[in-house]
Amino acid sequence: MAARPWWRIGWRNLGRNRRRSLITIAALAVGYFSVVLLVGWWDGVVVEMINNGTGILSGQLQVHSAAYLPDRNVYETIGGPDGTDVTAIIAGVTADPAVEGAAPRVYGGGLVSFGNATTAAAFLGIDPELEPRVSRLMDALSSGRPPARGTNEILVGVEMARILGVEPGAEVVVVAPAVDGSLGNDLFVVSGVFTSGLADLDRTFALLPIDALQALMVLDPGRVHEIAAAVPDPWDAPAAATRLHSALGATDGALAVESWTDLRPELVEYAQLSQSFQWVLLVIVFGMAIFGVANTMLMATFERRHEFALLLALGAAPRGIVWSVVVEAIALGAIGLLVGAAVTGPVLVWWHNAPPDLSWLVGDFTMAGALVRPVLRVEYPWSMAVQSALALFATAALAALYPAMRAARVPPADTLSGR
Amino acid sequence: MSEQRVVAVRTDRVWKVFEHDGIAVDAVRDVSLEIQRGEFVVLAGPSGSGKTTLLNLLGGLTAPTRGAVWIDGQELTAMKERQRARLRLERVGFVFQAYNLLPVLTALENAEFSLLLRGVPAEERKRKVQELFQRIGIGGLEDRRPSKLSGGQQQRVAVARAVVGEPALVLADEPTANLDSASSIALLDVMTTLNEDLGTTFVFATHDQRLMERARRLIRLVDGAVESDTRRPSTKGA
Repeated sequence: MAARPWWRIGWRNLGRNRRRSLITIAALAVGYFSVVLLVGWWDGVVVEMINNGTGILSGQLQVHSAAYLPDRNVYETIGGPDGTDVTAIIAGVTADPAVEGAAPRVYGGGLVSFGNATTAAAFLGIDPELEPRVSRLMDALSSGRPPARGTNEILVGVEMARILGVEPGAEVVVVAPAVDGSLGNDLFVVSGVFTSGLADLDRTFALLPIDALQALMVLDPGRVHEIAAAVPDPWDAPAAATRLHSALGATDGALAVESWTDLRPELVEYAQLSQSFQWVLLVIVFGMAIFGVANTMLMATFERRHEFALLLALGAAPRGIVWSVVVEAIALGAIGLLVGAAVTGPVLVWWHNAPPDLSWLVGDFTMAGALVRPVLRVEYPWSMAVQSALALFATAALAALYPAMRAARVPPADTLSGR
Repeated sequence: MSEQRVVAVRTDRVWKVFEHDGIAVDAVRDVSLEIQRGEFVVLAGPSGSGKTTLLNLLGGLTAPTRGAVWIDGQELTAMKERQRARLRLERVGFVFQAYNLLPVLTALENAEFSLLLRGVPAEERKRKVQELFQRIGIGGLEDRRPSKLSGGQQQRVAVARAVVGEPALVLADEPTANLDSASSIALLDVMTTLNEDLGTTFVFATHDQRLMERARRLIRLVDGAVESDTRRPSTKGA
């Protein structure tokens, strides 16, 4: 049997009670808008978390001696006691197409003193030229400037500066155990103060030029603990780590190449939790929409009992009746989707490019150890936009099935006789 | 064999019993009829006499409680609903008192509907409907929706839909009940002409005296049973 008359009837039936059709279309459009925008906003929060969790300090990818983690033993430098060709490793890492930049690092621990004040500190030796390509910590200066290579300068966190009572220009004493068993100590000038927003970082971290820290810890220039790398799309990092594992000859077990997903599993878990939440949201919103559409279709089909009876009397097959009702609901869904997409698209673009900043209201906060700004930035949730569109159609079709089957079971003789 | 070929519809000791609040009501009682092709038959009787129920039985819209019905030689009671629907589509035309046309379709779309369901090509459908519209006096109204047609015009569209597929019989339940006198007479003229010119078989359920006067066969029902079955010559133009 030709499907065309049922499409025609279903489509034209939409215009019979325009107010009811418009309300249903609006409900579906709002449902689509809500799901896509909320998911986009939630994606934005997750992206912000991952970017901050990996971008402020750690980078998206790290190369270590295989024995360095998890204890961060200062003796376990890349290449062992003899060190390595750091420049060659950096060149190898940056040769990967997903990697944007790489920088060497040396880690140490010790004390920083100024006057009578002393505090424990984690020291990070950085290459002031390469480090900005990997992390954003030096962008977060509240005063002063980054430490310069070849100098005894130190960049401290804002909380450490407060504890010590120092400002840029102050001369502090840095004490750190060296790898030869001695206790390295020297005078350093505070070049600047950073504010990361992460309390632990601001209280305990101090950045020094890598050569200065190596000298303090009696490490040769070829001895570094870490090569950190930046991967612009964090989700490319695991694949890049796998490639680099082979490219750097790490298969012998001497080197470990790890992505942020290995180093910060809590962030991955949070992203997965977020995806689950998105599905729950999708089910709740469209679950509610099903009842709205079903109610509309039930009312519509009840009003048209005589027409269905007439069609059946004329010899139409019941599945044709079902089809005409389902088509009507699918048409409602299609218009709802068009309206929803027309509203959602511009709002997404607007909020993606000019996200409302609520910092003035609630301030920054941390989630899963990562800094999150209360900025309603939305990501473009393409896959969820498509899934929501499919869910919308499925909602419309499912909601219409029961009314459609009722319509197809109308007894023609009794109905036309008014019984 | 030749007699069987001209029988449009036949019933054999048909009963239809409805249950109302646990009480069985005989709407049609032991009716045996044979209506030939080309007949112009009126089922008459007071309200509740079983006219509409018998019409529904003749058209396969409802199954008899007992007895058997044949349409164009095919026995209905053994058929599944899907088969009965197909038989109605191909062999029976219906004209109802009200709720006759689909409001979302134009006059032409309403009239061609059964042809469309039967898979008749669009050009042929359009040609047949337009010819019929001209014949029954509603040419030029093809693109109008039912809400833009008078009651009489709507019933003519319904008649066109019923006869356009050249069915074995057309069943009409009180087709003039909602029409004024002039429209009723015009509609009766249309159906009489179709019967006499094209040989279309009509079976009416009515208590419209004008329609009864035109009947060439008048079957009177009382309490669901046939009280009388009389034949008379054509009264065309009365």
